[in-house]
Amino acid sequence: MAATAKKKAKNSSFGQTVIDGKNVTKIFGETVTALEGADFNIRAGEFISLVGPSGCGKSTLLRLVAGLIEKTSGDLTVNNEVVTKPRTDIGMMFQKAVLLDWRTAIENVLLPSEIQHRITQDDKNKAMASLDLVGLKGFEFHFPKQLSGGMQQRVALARLIQTGANIMLMDEPFGALDEFTRERLNIELERIVGELKATTLFVTHNIQEAIFLADRVLVMTPRPGRIAKIIDVEFDRPRDISIQTSRDFNIIVEEVRDTLGGH
Amino acid sequence: MSYSTTDQTKHISIFKTLPFHLLIFAGLIFLWEMVNLYGFEDQIQADMIAPRPTNIVLAMIDIFIIDQTVWKHLISTFQKALLGASIGTAIGMGLAISATLSLTFRKYIKPWIILMEATPRIAVGPIFVALLGFGLWAAVALAALVAFFGPFVNTFQGLMEIDEEAEEMFRSMGASRFQTFWKLRFASAMELISAGWKLATASAFGGALVAEFIQASEGMGVLISQYVIMITMDYAFAALLSVTIFGFILFKIMDFLDYRLIFWKNDLLLLKESEKRRKKAGVVS
Repeated sequence: MAATAKKKAKNSSFGQTVIDGKNVTKIFGETVTALEGADFNIRAGEFISLVGPSGCGKSTLLRLVAGLIEKTSGDLTVNNEVVTKPRTDIGMMFQKAVLLDWRTAIENVLLPSEIQHRITQDDKNKAMASLDLVGLKGFEFHFPKQLSGGMQQRVALARLIQTGANIMLMDEPFGALDEFTRERLNIELERIVGELKATTLFVTHNIQEAIFLADRVLVMTPRPGRIAKIIDVEFDRPRDISIQTSRDFNIIVEEVRDTLGGH
Repeated sequence: MSYSTTDQTKHISIFKTLPFHLLIFAGLIFLWEMVNLYGFEDQIQADMIAPRPTNIVLAMIDIFIIDQTVWKHLISTFQKALLGASIGTAIGMGLAISATLSLTFRKYIKPWIILMEATPRIAVGPIFVALLGFGLWAAVALAALVAFFGPFVNTFQGLMEIDEEAEEMFRSMGASRFQTFWKLRFASAMELISAGWKLATASAFGGALVAEFIQASEGMGVLISQYVIMITMDYAFAALLSVTIFGFILFKIMDFLDYRLIFWKNDLLLLKESEKRRKKAGVVS
């Protein structure tokens, strides 16, 4: 599909608006404007990449949506509800896997269930299935220390799936991994998110990764943090890693670079 | 400030160096025996300053097997030390948990902690004996007082080391403050807390002995003092050696408990624990 012939046809394939931000601004303290006047509208099932250099406000935007921090001004709703605190329909993943070392993979995956209620056999079955989905069948009873960095992130992803959240917020989840592992996990993430039909916000500073995964890329620029451009990415799914060398892909890469370079 | 006494490499190297250690030990004992026999003009003086190792061994046999005097004193000292360590740990951890949860409490407790740290705690011993008499409780109180500090500092330090991303993750899952505290902060602090328990045991043991030296009806401190007063130095050394041996056993037990409790720091234990939990869940590998 031609990346140049995109725009309108594209957005119709997704459901209703899930995350809606109008003029969202976040000022830390008195003076640090982390995010200024951000307008964004994310539909059900969409995969959105937030890309930009450090300090462009991409993590701030993510934490605002998650309800972990409060906006200074503007309107922000998730499923038509004003965001005031963390919600159970939103799950998160971070750069670090943040696994508890004294718990096995499955016990870590069960943590969200345990926080909500007493663990049932259903939860356990679901956790086994989540681990299977992320490719960790047979590693259920390994402890984090016995797993590689990539596998630890897979456990974190399984834990996110276990929350049952249909909105997934990911803050540079593969940022600390080597290039090969990152590439493999990108392919799997694309498959998993597709299977779950989840709405995803994915923060990264890797342009290739951002484009490969996304339906739309929010290009952000720093000082103050702003959404500089929203670019549609229209490759068929499931995507093959080979699209990264295609001409259309590189046109988008250039577009992102130009947007970032102009600031 | 915190203390940790875990030394994983120690367990392996000790077997290689053991023969040399034994050789040096035997050499020193032999030298000591010779000094006693030939180093003094007067045998009474020799036995007072450097009692012969063979006599010390005979005294050990006497107090442990023949006369059996040592047992009730050993039990008494251990009872005081363990009671004191438990009480001191409970108070220390309680204060540390309160201090991490409440900023106000932390501010108010700070000058008192500084004051306590500046006071040599053993010096409080005579006052405790005067207040509580020379039964069990003066020694328990002193043991608790000296034991309290390790668990306090370590628990506080452990709980204050906050992993921001982990906290955010717990919040995003909708965890309550209580859940985040126990499942994340306290569990993460366990390594330091456990090291604090080891410190508490060691210092409580010392505290109990000191209280007994000051004034008590029984205990190893009393026994050592008595032997010294009677100038039966071989028996005094035998009593001291008993304290060393049983103290060593106590510390080794604490080390072992720590090692098992903080199993995720050790690759081998991790492997065993992983297998255990797999079996418990009824999953065949």
